[in-house]
Amino acid sequence: MTVAMASPSARAVPLSLRLFGIALGFAVLGLVLRYLAFAVTVKDASILTFAEGMCRWDCGWYVRLAETGYDPFPVPTMINAGNWAFFPLFPLLIGALRFVTGLPTMPLASAVSVALSIGASMLAYPLLGRNIRAFTLFAAFLLCGPFSIYFTTFYTEVLFLFLTLAVFAALGQKRFLLAGLLAAALSATRIVGVFIVFAILVEVWRAHRAGGGTWRTFIPATLRRPDLVLAFALAPLGLFAYLTYLHLSIGDALAFNHVQRAWGRPLGLPPVFVWNALNAWPQSGFLPSSSQVSGLVTVIGYGLIGVMFWQRRFAMAIYSLICLTLPLFAGMASIVRFNAGLAPMILTLTELLARRSWLFWLALLLLAIGTCFGAVGWLTGYLALV
Amino acid sequence: MSDAVSPTPRLSRALALGAYLLSGLLIAWYLVTMWLMVHPQVSADYRAYYIDQTTTCMNQPVSGAYQFGTLVSFLPDGRDLQKTIRVCGWEGPAGDGMHAVGTSARLRFNPMERPASMALMLSMIAIRRDGVPAQTVSVSLDGEKLADLDVGSGAPSTFKLPIPAGVAVKPGPIEVLLDFPTAQQMGPTDPRTRWRSIKLQSAGLVAN
Repeated sequence: MTVAMASPSARAVPLSLRLFGIALGFAVLGLVLRYLAFAVTVKDASILTFAEGMCRWDCGWYVRLAETGYDPFPVPTMINAGNWAFFPLFPLLIGALRFVTGLPTMPLASAVSVALSIGASMLAYPLLGRNIRAFTLFAAFLLCGPFSIYFTTFYTEVLFLFLTLAVFAALGQKRFLLAGLLAAALSATRIVGVFIVFAILVEVWRAHRAGGGTWRTFIPATLRRPDLVLAFALAPLGLFAYLTYLHLSIGDALAFNHVQRAWGRPLGLPPVFVWNALNAWPQSGFLPSSSQVSGLVTVIGYGLIGVMFWQRRFAMAIYSLICLTLPLFAGMASIVRFNAGLAPMILTLTELLARRSWLFWLALLLLAIGTCFGAVGWLTGYLALV
Repeated sequence: MSDAVSPTPRLSRALALGAYLLSGLLIAWYLVTMWLMVHPQVSADYRAYYIDQTTTCMNQPVSGAYQFGTLVSFLPDGRDLQKTIRVCGWEGPAGDGMHAVGTSARLRFNPMERPASMALMLSMIAIRRDGVPAQTVSVSLDGEKLADLDVGSGAPSTFKLPIPAGVAVKPGPIEVLLDFPTAQQMGPTDPRTRWRSIKLQSAGLVAN
């Protein structure tokens, strides 16, 4: 039997329960594999220190945000890097849950992240053409893959991915107002989330064309639909709420952008950064340097966007193109994470890998093995993963 | 011919009006916020570092608490004493000193005891880089230029700079600004905030 074919006993189980079971299975397996990697890498590792131990790099900033909120100016610790660069929704959510439950931040954030990853997998199922093999790979990618650390610790990528899928699911059902509401949340999660408005625009245009509309009638027809007008007006709400907050607290609505200077990020052209990264050969050994890995992942990302265009998934393609290209103007830092957190990329990749049975099984195996390598790389400071 | 986007979910007149009204309010709010974006209400220090980017050294409100006559080590052993006088533009300490990062750095001294005749002591070493044997350090006190110093990379250089009497006796902290006009971009994509010039090994105020 293949995964794509259900047995009679499997048919008796409701589909949603089967999907949940698959995702939950990967959540447990991923947890075990990451713990094993943690145990062999970190001295004095224990279950009690696992959640905190996996919290590396920006995760620490999110923990502090959830616990103490945004920095005032001047920053009390007298550093230039105020935490205004981090968008509020996910740390706010964890902070609120922490307040209500009294649970420690990292175990709570990890549990919420795993729950959101399972939820994201469920949302992805219809977007994957109800292909259970693609779904299986998708769930494995989030919960039991080399990049599962982003989706199971405390990084904003998991909520970003969940909300992106929710917007596309709403658009798939032509529920534009709901898509606008979800987009508002997305724009409070990461700055690039606001560009989902272009995906909404593309889908509204397609609906307009399907109804026999033309270029000339598009704007009047859209303006005659109050639900569409409200959807577009709602989409950037999260971003503007954060801008207003920054103005009221710091005096600078663009503090999230201005503070980037303190991180010493370079400014330049994406093709130059990618080219330089691909040519950053390792000083010894045969394995690619972390810069080369970042460059390679970026090239694969653009390849997947090309596939989306070819598949005429224009909304996803345009959104992904913006989300991948904009951060590249500030160099290659975190570009692997940004790629891994872009839902349309993972949808496209897992669909491609699910086309052949042997490829599916190979990908599944590599994802499981990659979980350990990803976690060890994460814990030992492999820069491409940061 | 249909000119609609798609089959419209029929909203009641009141709901439709509400949706338009809410949209209008949101758009008005966005316009106000956009106006705020280009009219920040921030301090001069904030504006200089984050917005205008006219300095790489963000003036931090350290107290300047300092015991007159102490030479504060900027090696790892002097961490506690450094805290109250290092304002900005420093990173470390590394093994042989505190790296200056960017094109300027600041120190602040606010001693209780203030003799009329005192001097600023600085011990520095330039970074090592092929073709760059030395660094120039321009020292200013309270906005007035005091000296241009040449700092080599071979061995640490120590300087004793007399402080003008007017600066020494005035109330409030003594602000020391070090400018690095020959600071080097170390990597091809390094922004100015990461440029390197010297490492500070010790600093203090002594009797002249």
